[in-house]
Amino acid sequence: MHIPDGYVDLPLAVLFAAISLAVLSYAARRVGGEISDTRAPLVGVVAAGVFAAQMLNWPIPGGTSAHFVGGAFAAILLGPHLGALAVATVVAIQALVFGDGGLLVLGANVFNMAVVEVYVGYAVYRVVAPYGEFRAAFAAGWLGITAGALTAGLQLGLSAAFQYELLTTLAIMGVGHLVLGLIEGAITAVVYRYLARARPDLRPTTTPDPEVSA
Amino acid sequence: MADGAGSTVPDWLPKAVAVLVALALLAPVFGWASGQVGYAEPLENAAEATGATDDAEPVESAPFPDYGVPGLGSAPGTLVSAFVGIGLTLVVAFGIGRALGSDADADTDAVR
Repeated sequence: MHIPDGYVDLPLAVLFAAISLAVLSYAARRVGGEISDTRAPLVGVVAAGVFAAQMLNWPIPGGTSAHFVGGAFAAILLGPHLGALAVATVVAIQALVFGDGGLLVLGANVFNMAVVEVYVGYAVYRVVAPYGEFRAAFAAGWLGITAGALTAGLQLGLSAAFQYELLTTLAIMGVGHLVLGLIEGAITAVVYRYLARARPDLRPTTTPDPEVSA
Repeated sequence: MADGAGSTVPDWLPKAVAVLVALALLAPVFGWASGQVGYAEPLENAAEATGATDDAEPVESAPFPDYGVPGLGSAPGTLVSAFVGIGLTLVVAFGIGRALGSDADADTDAVR
Protein backbone atom coordinates (compact mmCIF):
# COMPACT_ATOMS: atom_id res chain seq x y z
CA MET A 1 0.00 0.00 0.00
CA HIS A 2 3.01 2.31 0.44
CA ILE A 3 3.97 3.55 -3.01
CA PRO A 4 7.73 3.97 -3.53
CA ASP A 5 9.29 6.82 -5.49
CA GLY A 6 9.46 6.24 -9.21
CA TYR A 7 6.02 4.68 -9.54
CA VAL A 8 3.85 7.78 -9.82
CA ASP A 9 4.38 10.54 -12.39
CA LEU A 10 5.64 13.77 -10.86
CA PRO A 11 2.65 16.01 -11.79
CA LEU A 12 0.30 13.48 -10.18
CA ALA A 13 2.48 13.26 -7.08
CA VAL A 14 2.46 17.06 -6.78
CA LEU A 15 -1.30 17.21 -7.32
CA PHE A 16 -2.03 14.68 -4.59
CA ALA A 17 0.47 16.34 -2.25
CA ALA A 18 -1.44 19.60 -2.69
CA ILE A 19 -4.80 17.90 -2.05
CA SER A 20 -3.45 16.14 1.05
CA LEU A 21 -2.01 19.36 2.38
CA ALA A 22 -5.33 21.14 1.84
CA VAL A 23 -7.32 18.39 3.57
CA LEU A 24 -4.94 18.16 6.51
CA SER A 25 -4.93 21.89 7.12
CA TYR A 26 -8.73 21.81 6.96
CA ALA A 27 -8.63 18.92 9.46
CA ALA A 28 -6.32 20.86 11.75
CA ARG A 29 -8.69 23.83 11.72
CA ARG A 30 -11.75 21.67 12.34
CA VAL A 31 -10.08 19.85 15.20
CA GLY A 32 -9.14 22.98 17.11
CA GLY A 33 -11.43 23.20 20.09
CA GLU A 34 -12.24 19.51 20.20
CA ILE A 35 -9.14 18.29 21.98
CA SER A 36 -9.42 18.00 25.72
CA ASP A 37 -6.57 17.20 28.10
CA THR A 38 -7.08 13.45 27.75
CA ARG A 39 -7.35 13.49 23.97
CA ALA A 40 -3.82 14.68 23.19
CA PRO A 41 -2.28 11.54 24.76
CA LEU A 42 -4.96 9.48 23.01
CA VAL A 43 -3.91 10.89 19.63
CA GLY A 44 -0.32 9.89 20.40
CA VAL A 45 -1.25 6.40 21.52
CA VAL A 46 -3.59 5.71 18.59
CA ALA A 47 -0.96 6.93 16.09
CA ALA A 48 1.75 4.84 17.79
CA GLY A 49 -0.61 1.85 17.81
CA VAL A 50 -1.27 2.29 14.09
CA PHE A 51 2.48 2.46 13.44
CA ALA A 52 3.07 -0.67 15.51
CA ALA A 53 0.22 -2.58 13.89
CA GLN A 54 1.48 -1.67 10.41
CA MET A 55 4.80 -3.35 11.23
CA LEU A 56 3.02 -6.66 11.76
CA ASN A 57 2.79 -8.32 8.37
CA TRP A 58 0.31 -11.16 8.57
CA PRO A 59 1.55 -14.03 6.45
CA ILE A 60 -1.26 -15.35 4.29
CA PRO A 61 -0.92 -18.79 2.71
CA GLY A 62 -0.39 -18.42 -1.02
CA GLY A 63 2.47 -15.96 -0.77
CA THR A 64 0.67 -12.79 0.17
CA SER A 65 1.09 -10.75 3.24
CA ALA A 66 -0.87 -7.83 4.46
CA HIS A 67 -0.83 -5.54 7.37
CA PHE A 68 -3.49 -3.59 9.19
CA VAL A 69 -3.51 0.02 7.97
CA GLY A 70 -5.80 1.44 10.60
CA GLY A 71 -7.18 4.54 8.91
CA ALA A 72 -10.79 3.69 9.64
CA PHE A 73 -9.85 2.57 13.13
CA ALA A 74 -8.22 5.93 13.89
CA ALA A 75 -11.23 7.75 12.40
CA ILE A 76 -13.74 5.92 14.59
CA LEU A 77 -11.68 6.34 17.73
CA LEU A 78 -10.47 9.92 17.25
CA GLY A 79 -13.02 11.35 14.85
CA PRO A 80 -12.14 11.86 11.18
CA HIS A 81 -10.09 15.06 11.45
CA LEU A 82 -7.83 13.96 14.30
CA GLY A 83 -7.74 10.50 12.73
CA ALA A 84 -6.45 11.93 9.46
CA LEU A 85 -3.74 13.89 11.26
CA ALA A 86 -2.73 10.83 13.32
CA VAL A 87 -2.42 8.53 10.29
CA ALA A 88 -0.63 11.24 8.28
CA THR A 89 1.93 11.41 11.10
CA VAL A 90 2.45 7.66 10.81
CA VAL A 91 2.81 7.71 7.02
CA ALA A 92 5.27 10.64 7.15
CA ILE A 93 7.47 8.95 9.76
CA GLN A 94 7.41 5.70 7.78
CA ALA A 95 8.72 7.48 4.69
CA LEU A 96 11.21 9.84 6.33
CA VAL A 97 12.71 7.49 8.92
CA PHE A 98 12.18 4.00 7.51
CA GLY A 99 12.06 4.51 3.75
CA ASP A 100 8.63 2.86 3.60
CA GLY A 101 6.88 4.77 0.85
CA GLY A 102 8.70 7.37 -1.21
CA LEU A 103 9.35 11.03 -0.42
CA LEU A 104 8.07 12.51 -3.68
CA VAL A 105 4.93 10.37 -3.39
CA LEU A 106 4.47 11.07 0.32
CA GLY A 107 1.49 13.27 -0.47
CA ALA A 108 -0.08 10.51 -2.56
CA ASN A 109 0.46 7.94 0.19
CA VAL A 110 -0.98 10.32 2.76
CA PHE A 111 -3.96 10.87 0.47
CA ASN A 112 -4.66 7.13 0.12
CA MET A 113 -4.15 6.06 3.72
CA ALA A 114 -4.70 9.17 5.86
CA VAL A 115 -7.36 10.96 3.81
CA VAL A 116 -9.35 8.41 1.76
CA GLU A 117 -9.22 5.50 4.18
CA VAL A 118 -9.93 7.75 7.15
CA TYR A 119 -12.81 9.80 5.73
CA VAL A 120 -14.40 6.98 3.70
CA GLY A 121 -14.03 4.66 6.67
CA TYR A 122 -15.65 7.22 8.94
CA ALA A 123 -18.51 7.86 6.51
CA VAL A 124 -19.20 4.13 6.21
CA TYR A 125 -19.08 3.83 9.99
CA ARG A 126 -21.65 6.58 10.43
CA VAL A 127 -23.96 5.12 7.79
CA VAL A 128 -23.87 1.57 9.18
CA ALA A 129 -23.74 2.48 12.90
CA PRO A 130 -27.55 2.45 13.32
CA TYR A 131 -27.44 -1.25 12.42
CA GLY A 132 -24.82 -2.07 15.02
CA GLU A 133 -21.47 -0.60 15.96
CA PHE A 134 -19.56 -3.86 15.47
CA ARG A 135 -20.86 -4.21 11.91
CA ALA A 136 -20.20 -0.54 11.30
CA ALA A 137 -16.56 -0.80 12.44
CA PHE A 138 -16.08 -3.90 10.31
CA ALA A 139 -17.54 -2.27 7.20
CA ALA A 140 -15.53 0.89 7.84
CA GLY A 141 -12.21 -0.97 7.97
CA TRP A 142 -13.10 -3.15 5.01
CA LEU A 143 -14.41 -0.49 2.63
CA GLY A 144 -12.06 2.23 3.88
CA ILE A 145 -8.94 0.28 2.94
CA THR A 146 -10.51 -0.80 -0.35
CA ALA A 147 -11.23 2.84 -1.23
CA GLY A 148 -7.64 3.79 -0.36
CA ALA A 149 -6.36 0.95 -2.53
CA LEU A 150 -8.49 2.16 -5.43
CA THR A 151 -7.08 5.68 -5.28
CA ALA A 152 -3.59 4.15 -5.11
CA GLY A 153 -4.51 2.09 -8.17
CA LEU A 154 -5.70 5.26 -9.87
CA GLN A 155 -2.40 7.05 -9.20
CA LEU A 156 -0.38 4.07 -10.44
CA GLY A 157 -2.57 3.44 -13.49
CA LEU A 158 -2.23 7.05 -14.64
CA SER A 159 1.57 6.84 -14.46
CA ALA A 160 4.18 5.95 -17.08
CA ALA A 161 5.90 3.28 -14.96
CA PHE A 162 2.68 1.27 -15.01
CA GLN A 163 2.25 1.79 -18.79
CA TYR A 164 -0.96 3.70 -18.06
CA GLU A 165 -2.69 0.34 -17.58
CA LEU A 166 -5.37 1.85 -15.41
CA LEU A 167 -7.77 -1.08 -15.54
CA THR A 168 -5.02 -3.53 -14.51
CA THR A 169 -3.87 -1.46 -11.55
CA LEU A 170 -7.42 -0.71 -10.39
CA ALA A 171 -8.38 -4.37 -10.66
CA ILE A 172 -5.33 -5.72 -8.82
CA MET A 173 -5.37 -3.08 -6.11
CA GLY A 174 -9.14 -3.04 -5.73
CA VAL A 175 -9.78 -6.78 -5.73
CA GLY A 176 -6.64 -7.53 -3.71
CA HIS A 177 -7.58 -5.16 -0.93
CA LEU A 178 -11.27 -6.02 -1.10
CA VAL A 179 -10.20 -9.51 -0.02
CA LEU A 180 -7.43 -8.47 2.39
CA GLY A 181 -9.75 -5.76 3.70
CA LEU A 182 -11.80 -8.43 5.44
CA ILE A 183 -8.89 -8.78 7.86
CA GLU A 184 -8.71 -4.99 8.22
CA GLY A 185 -12.43 -4.92 8.97
CA ALA A 186 -12.22 -7.78 11.46
CA ILE A 187 -9.34 -6.21 13.41
CA THR A 188 -11.02 -2.79 13.35
CA ALA A 189 -14.28 -4.24 14.69
CA VAL A 190 -12.78 -6.52 17.35
CA VAL A 191 -10.36 -3.96 18.77
CA TYR A 192 -12.96 -1.21 18.65
CA ARG A 193 -15.54 -3.33 20.46
CA TYR A 194 -13.00 -4.16 23.14
CA LEU A 195 -12.07 -0.49 23.62
CA ALA A 196 -15.67 0.71 23.53
CA ARG A 197 -16.57 -1.73 26.30
CA ALA A 198 -13.45 -1.21 28.39
CA ARG A 199 -13.38 2.59 28.10
CA PRO A 200 -16.65 4.03 26.81
CA ASP A 201 -15.44 7.44 27.98
CA LEU A 202 -12.75 7.57 25.29
CA ARG A 203 -15.22 7.52 22.41
CA PRO A 204 -15.22 10.71 20.35
CA THR A 205 -18.82 10.85 19.19
CA THR A 206 -20.54 12.73 21.94
CA THR A 207 -23.90 11.15 21.38
CA PRO A 208 -26.41 12.90 23.60
CA ASP A 209 -26.46 11.40 27.07
CA PRO A 210 -29.64 9.39 27.69
CA GLU A 211 -29.56 10.66 31.25
CA VAL A 212 -29.79 14.28 30.20
CA SER A 213 -33.42 13.90 29.13
CA ALA A 214 -34.70 16.08 31.91
CA MET B 1 -15.77 14.26 33.44
CA ALA B 2 -13.32 15.95 35.80
CA ASP B 3 -10.32 13.71 36.33
CA GLY B 4 -8.95 15.71 39.22
CA ALA B 5 -6.32 18.38 39.27
CA GLY B 6 -3.31 18.26 36.97
CA SER B 7 -4.37 15.02 35.30
CA THR B 8 -2.21 15.38 32.20
CA VAL B 9 -1.40 11.66 32.45
CA PRO B 10 -4.63 9.70 31.94
CA ASP B 11 -5.12 6.53 33.95
CA TRP B 12 -5.21 4.32 30.86
CA LEU B 13 -1.80 5.44 29.62
CA PRO B 14 0.36 2.79 31.38
CA LYS B 15 -1.82 0.02 29.95
CA ALA B 16 -1.68 1.56 26.49
CA VAL B 17 2.11 1.80 26.65
CA ALA B 18 2.27 -1.86 27.73
CA VAL B 19 0.24 -2.80 24.63
CA LEU B 20 2.60 -0.77 22.42
CA VAL B 21 5.64 -2.52 23.93
CA ALA B 22 3.99 -5.90 23.32
CA LEU B 23 3.33 -4.98 19.67
CA ALA B 24 6.96 -3.90 19.28
CA LEU B 25 8.17 -7.24 20.65
CA LEU B 26 5.91 -9.03 18.14
CA ALA B 27 7.35 -7.11 15.15
CA PRO B 28 10.43 -9.35 14.62
CA VAL B 29 8.26 -12.47 14.94
CA PHE B 30 5.88 -11.27 12.25
CA GLY B 31 8.80 -10.12 10.13
CA TRP B 32 10.22 -13.62 10.19
CA ALA B 33 6.86 -15.27 9.57
CA SER B 34 5.93 -13.15 6.55
CA GLY B 35 9.43 -13.73 5.19
CA GLN B 36 8.62 -17.43 5.26
CA VAL B 37 5.65 -17.07 2.91
CA GLY B 38 7.35 -14.47 0.72
CA TYR B 39 6.27 -10.88 1.05
CA ALA B 40 4.01 -9.56 -1.68
CA GLU B 41 1.23 -7.00 -1.54
CA PRO B 42 -1.30 -6.21 -4.27
CA LEU B 43 0.83 -3.13 -5.01
CA GLU B 44 3.79 -5.35 -5.87
CA ASN B 45 1.58 -7.63 -7.94
CA ALA B 46 0.34 -4.63 -9.90
CA ALA B 47 3.94 -3.50 -10.43
CA GLU B 48 4.89 -6.92 -11.72
CA ALA B 49 1.87 -7.16 -14.01
CA THR B 50 2.75 -3.90 -15.74
CA GLY B 51 6.54 -4.14 -15.58
CA ALA B 52 6.96 -1.24 -13.19
CA THR B 53 8.98 -3.09 -10.55
CA ASP B 54 12.37 -1.79 -11.74
CA ASP B 55 11.20 1.82 -11.56
CA ALA B 56 10.98 1.77 -7.77
CA GLU B 57 13.57 4.00 -6.16
CA PRO B 58 14.39 3.34 -2.51
CA VAL B 59 14.61 6.32 -0.15
CA GLU B 60 18.38 6.56 0.28
CA SER B 61 18.24 9.06 3.11
CA ALA B 62 16.19 6.93 5.52
CA PRO B 63 18.15 6.32 8.75
CA PHE B 64 16.47 2.94 9.29
CA PRO B 65 16.05 1.60 5.76
CA ASP B 66 13.32 -1.02 5.44
CA TYR B 67 12.79 -1.11 9.22
CA GLY B 68 16.33 -2.35 9.77
CA VAL B 69 19.50 -1.04 11.35
CA PRO B 70 22.51 -1.11 9.03
CA GLY B 71 25.04 -3.59 10.44
CA LEU B 72 22.56 -5.18 12.79
CA GLY B 73 20.82 -8.49 12.14
CA SER B 74 17.30 -8.70 10.80
CA ALA B 75 15.43 -9.47 14.02
CA PRO B 76 17.31 -7.04 16.30
CA GLY B 77 17.12 -4.38 13.58
CA THR B 78 13.36 -4.81 13.33
CA LEU B 79 13.03 -4.63 17.10
CA VAL B 80 15.06 -1.41 17.35
CA SER B 81 13.06 0.06 14.44
CA ALA B 82 9.81 -0.86 16.13
CA PHE B 83 10.76 0.90 19.37
CA VAL B 84 12.16 3.96 17.57
CA GLY B 85 9.13 4.24 15.28
CA ILE B 86 6.53 3.70 17.98
CA GLY B 87 8.24 6.13 20.35
CA LEU B 88 8.71 8.78 17.68
CA THR B 89 5.11 8.48 16.46
CA LEU B 90 3.83 8.68 20.03
CA VAL B 91 5.77 11.87 20.72
CA VAL B 92 5.01 13.60 17.40
CA ALA B 93 1.29 12.78 17.37
CA PHE B 94 0.97 13.75 21.03
CA GLY B 95 2.68 17.03 20.18
CA ILE B 96 0.24 17.66 17.33
CA GLY B 97 -2.69 16.91 19.62
CA ARG B 98 -1.27 19.28 22.21
CA ALA B 99 -0.51 22.04 19.73
CA LEU B 100 -4.01 21.93 18.28
CA GLY B 101 -5.71 21.61 21.63
CA SER B 102 -3.96 24.15 23.82
CA ASP B 103 -5.90 27.21 22.68
CA ALA B 104 -9.17 25.36 22.72
CA ASP B 105 -8.74 24.24 26.31
CA ALA B 106 -8.49 27.83 27.44
CA ASP B 107 -11.61 28.70 25.45
CA THR B 108 -13.77 25.91 26.82
CA ASP B 109 -12.65 26.70 30.35
CA ALA B 110 -13.62 30.31 29.85
CA VAL B 111 -17.05 29.33 28.54
CA ARG B 112 -17.65 27.25 31.62
